[in-house]
Amino acid sequence: MKKIIATFAVSFALTGSALTTTALAQAKIQVGCTATSDCASAMVAVDEGIFKKHGLEVEMTPIGINSNIPAAILSNSIQIGGPTSTVFLQAVDGGLDLVAIAGASVMNPVSNGNITAFVRNGITIKEPKDFAGKKVGAPGLNAFLHVLFVKWLVEKGVDPKSVNFVEVTFPTMSDIIKSGGVDAVLTAEPFVTRMTNAGLGSVGARYAVELARTDPIIFYAASREWADKNAVAIKKFRDAIAESAEIVNNDREKASASISKFTKQPIELVKMTPPNRSVPELKPEQLGWWIEVMSSQKMLQSKLEPNKLVLK
Amino acid sequence: MSDNTAKNTAKHTAKALVLPVALLVAFEVWARATHLQSDSLAAPSDVVRALAEAFADFSILIATRDTLFSAFTGLAIGSIIGLALGIAFGLSNTLNRLMEVTVEAIRPIPSIALLPIALIALGFGYRMEIVIVAFACVWPILILSRAAVRSIEPRLMEVSRALRLPAAQRVWKIIIPAALPRIFVAFRLSAGIALIVAVTVEIAINPIGLGAGIMLAQQALRADLMLAYLVWIGVIGYALNIVLVVAQRRLFGRAALSGDSA
Repeated sequence: MKKIIATFAVSFALTGSALTTTALAQAKIQVGCTATSDCASAMVAVDEGIFKKHGLEVEMTPIGINSNIPAAILSNSIQIGGPTSTVFLQAVDGGLDLVAIAGASVMNPVSNGNITAFVRNGITIKEPKDFAGKKVGAPGLNAFLHVLFVKWLVEKGVDPKSVNFVEVTFPTMSDIIKSGGVDAVLTAEPFVTRMTNAGLGSVGARYAVELARTDPIIFYAASREWADKNAVAIKKFRDAIAESAEIVNNDREKASASISKFTKQPIELVKMTPPNRSVPELKPEQLGWWIEVMSSQKMLQSKLEPNKLVLK
Repeated sequence: MSDNTAKNTAKHTAKALVLPVALLVAFEVWARATHLQSDSLAAPSDVVRALAEAFADFSILIATRDTLFSAFTGLAIGSIIGLALGIAFGLSNTLNRLMEVTVEAIRPIPSIALLPIALIALGFGYRMEIVIVAFACVWPILILSRAAVRSIEPRLMEVSRALRLPAAQRVWKIIIPAALPRIFVAFRLSAGIALIVAVTVEIAINPIGLGAGIMLAQQALRADLMLAYLVWIGVIGYALNIVLVVAQRRLFGRAALSGDSA
């Protein structure tokens, strides 16, 4: 009996000792982003010591799924996050008190060109209405690419309900397209080039190019409470992001190195695609288009006021 | 153990390994021959290389520490709560009947369904994971220890009453020793659950540990590294089970067998 109790006691002691290590290092600002190039300005600012130069201690936390970012901000696991416009607006619409504090990435002709609906072999798409009745994989339902594609379908006079949408994450796209599990996927570079080179299909539509928008993809957001208490830190954060955005947009080498370091993607793969354009300023009116599109797709319940969503 | 038995065991192991090794070799040859290009499959040799790299830069060891720490702490907390409630419900019929609806209403909630609430309430890190693992581990321990306490030889209870043992001593000296082999089976069951739940929490939300390692490798399009993590989790699960089976045999001897049939 004593032996058994001793065994339990040892295992408790072992587990208990590690608890103390977790509570440390709270002074740093944690910035949470998904493994894409959208938060490149923060990645570069960490790597090039730009945050430090402005007197900020910043650490980046990789987040698996973008829609977890609002909850992570509210729990104070991260103080600043990089949600997509759709995730941010849905969270605010749902009652979470978040506020956008700086711009990260925006759509532009280059990034729009990277976005496609990639169609598997054996399926021909000549015009938008050919998508009717097809099974289309989106990396997240009601997420960025899905919302854009639905907007494009509506503009082209196709009923989005005639398309069967399923969720397919980026890394599984090529295998699912290959096996014929879906007819098309809504994807972006470098996946388009990889799938094209592997002979798995062809580009069915360049819907983002046709929409030709310049609205924000991802921006930096925080809880209003944290933002109110940390006005000085936010000023420094904005200055640092403005400085590193220059590097992201003009120095592919440095930007690729930082992106590869944070996302753990092989550097050759990162270099294949230019990072999405970094724009550090964010104006309330830039959220207007998203609010309108999402409201028309019945994704928002309340009437959101853009002026209240962006910190002055 | 005689030499012959040892030889036989070795022969048996070798035979059992033939099929998996042949399959791995066949897969390797196929992957090389077809120049396998996939974001979710990789040749076994690449997986081994990725595993070695992950060991070399300590990333997989740190992830293992995080996962096992959360799993074991959650298991320990869940076991204590489950055991305490199980013994109490096993001893008192009234309490058991009073709590039945509550327990049966909460028990079927999948622990993973608590993730969204747990994330907002507790944030990323060990705390959230430990709470969810503990929640998952309470139930098997509670139910099996309740059954174990109820199936204690009635004469033992009579003896404790005749000796006028106070309640605490009755639990400590009679009930726990008598029910322990079966409680340990419940603990073994929960240990498996703890590892599964810990990795699942990490895959779904928590950016630490082996599950997060799999997700990050997948998003970095490193199928080799992702599979290396998967293989390593398999090894840990296998090792954990062996440790617990050996512990069960050493601690309880023949009594362990009766526990297994419980």
